[in-house]
Amino acid sequence: MEQTIEQTKEYFYIALRNIRTRRLRSSLTVLGIVIGVFLIISLLSLSEGLKTTINQQLQAMGGEMVIVMPGGEEDILTSMMFGGAKLEKQDIEAIKKAKGVDKVLGYSYTGTIARYKDESKQIAMCGYDPWKEGLDILSIFQGWSLAEGRWPSKQNQILIGQYIANEIFSKKIKAGSEMVIKGKKFEVAGILNSLGSRQDDSMVYMDMKIYQDLTGEKRGTAAYAIVKLEQGADENAVKTEIEASLEKTRKRRAGTDVADFSVITSEKMGELVGTILGIIQIVIIGFASIAILVGGIGITNSMFTSVRERTKEIGIMKAIGAKNSAILSIFLIEAGIVGIFGGVGGLLLGSILAKAIDYYSQINPTFYFTTTISPWMIIFALIFSFSIGCLAGFFPARAAAKLKPVEALRRYE
Amino acid sequence: MEKPIIKLENVWKTYKLGKVDLNAIKGIDLEVFPGSFVTIMGASGSGKSTLLNIIGCLDTPTKGKVFLKNKDISMLSENQLSQLRGKTIGFIFQEFNLLPNLNALENVMLPMVFQGVPLEERKKRAKQLLISMHLGERIFHQPAELSGGERQRVAAARAFANNPELVIADEPTGNLDSTTGKKIMEVLTNFHKERGKTIIVVTHDPNIASYTEEIINIKDGEIIANHKQADKVLWNKQ
Ligand SMILES: Nc1ncnc2c1ncn2[C@@H]1O[C@H](COP(=O)(O)OP(=O)(O)OP(=O)(O)O)[C@@H](O)[C@H]1O
Ligand SMILES: [Mg+2]
Repeated sequence: MEQTIEQTKEYFYIALRNIRTRRLRSSLTVLGIVIGVFLIISLLSLSEGLKTTINQQLQAMGGEMVIVMPGGEEDILTSMMFGGAKLEKQDIEAIKKAKGVDKVLGYSYTGTIARYKDESKQIAMCGYDPWKEGLDILSIFQGWSLAEGRWPSKQNQILIGQYIANEIFSKKIKAGSEMVIKGKKFEVAGILNSLGSRQDDSMVYMDMKIYQDLTGEKRGTAAYAIVKLEQGADENAVKTEIEASLEKTRKRRAGTDVADFSVITSEKMGELVGTILGIIQIVIIGFASIAILVGGIGITNSMFTSVRERTKEIGIMKAIGAKNSAILSIFLIEAGIVGIFGGVGGLLLGSILAKAIDYYSQINPTFYFTTTISPWMIIFALIFSFSIGCLAGFFPARAAAKLKPVEALRRYE
Repeated sequence: MEKPIIKLENVWKTYKLGKVDLNAIKGIDLEVFPGSFVTIMGASGSGKSTLLNIIGCLDTPTKGKVFLKNKDISMLSENQLSQLRGKTIGFIFQEFNLLPNLNALENVMLPMVFQGVPLEERKKRAKQLLISMHLGERIFHQPAELSGGERQRVAAARAFANNPELVIADEPTGNLDSTTGKKIMEVLTNFHKERGKTIIVVTHDPNIASYTEEIINIKDGEIIANHKQADKVLWNKQ
């Protein structure tokens, strides 16, 4: 096919003209692809966002730590996102007894409304048990530090994250100011430096006792336990110890509805998240592929109609010297353009949705989600939709190219 | 003697209509020499269009050979044939057959696109052609915005675009009134006279035929009379 660039340009132009004259039909065809690409883009950006969110969490958790949470390992993600069963007092005692465990920090959190000055906002609050000792551990091992103010020392004092202090309320919160949570007044003793994840920076931190007073949860329980290991202890060895110890208390409490527990090392957590996200992405891609396939069939169908409608034009072009390859190019380009339009449309819609989610999560810190649209996703969507278009257009285009000039010319319109 | 630009040897065209075979062309031998101006005449259904399509290499004969510039076209690939046809033959159709999505200029430029003529050259030639057809004001009009006569002149400009050696016209005036038809015939005659190109026209109209130098009369798929315009008097007396 010694087709020059200039000729290709011309065919491109003719294809564009053809699309323009069939505006309505073309845009309906485009819609099929738009929906497919929109699905892919929005779902991928969401799952990318999920990955970023979880990875930030993992990083904040740091090494040398093990987390114990209720629920089997299979549903870690659900219990992380939606909460679930709780660790009972005995469970926490059992964890403490396990070999290699240095400190156990109970941890619970929930969304609530907080008032600052005359403004009420949705925030997340979180309790640590034990509180004083917990703060030491967190500052030494997790790198917590104060941007402003002091560490809390009195019952009604709390800590707040960077994001709460600076972004959520229209007025910036200074250390020492008063904040009302669930009708109780608190003093903001200190403001933390950024903890590395938006979720952590959007929290109000307090003594577990106060937390449980506010929420009415049972004393001694916790949603998770953060376990600090003894110096030099092996993550996996301690994990086994904790599991054995928990198993014992569970047996003693047999008959009551004791939930499963998962002991998760940071390594395991990373793996799990990876697998689960992988599955989610495969499912997403599966659905989106079906959508794209349907869109592709739409293009094929529309292109066949287009070829039928323009049989006479094809005959004319052949009569005046168009090679088969020229006709093939024109129709392939036409299908490709329809595909690309679909890709761009889907990309736009997907980005709008992603931005909307970002925006929503900005005003609702408890709904924490960032979406990611990476350049490769954009490139992928465009190349992909163009190829789908060409692929879908191939058979109609070949049918057009194979038409015999006389027969094509004789065709009645 | 000069080599014919197009030569038909015992050409048959048979259409299969169910069980019946319809011979639209029955063993035609024909030579058309460079620089001639030929009319094909005959009653409706006599096979003129079929013959012309074969001459124009738009169609292939069921039997027999067609030589375009001494090349047996059955030996050419489809692509080679398109290329040769685009370069050597210009077409004018009864129903104009302009591409509706392209404006006059683009329609005239299109055959040159297929021959790989560079853009500037293409534009220049197309403009000149349209201006010479008195269509200078209509260059950017879509076919739908042109009258029948104007469309046919655009089509003629398109047929001349690659400066073909042979122009083929199937009833080019069939959809036009006699005045506009006359204009088209003048355009064809000029092209023939000024550039010495070969022209083959199918027509019913004896007035149109009078422009030409040679008349091929065809009946039921066979040539019944092939006479130079010298015999015109005789022809008119019939
Ligand atoms: N594709 C086809 N299939 C079957 N028969 C055909 C086909 N094309 C032409 N014919 C037949 O071949 C014969 C010659 O047709 P052709 O179109 O060449 O006539 P014509 O001389 O051009 O007539 P007109 O002056 O009406 O245009 C006719 O009988 C016609 O019915
Ligand atoms: Mg005819």
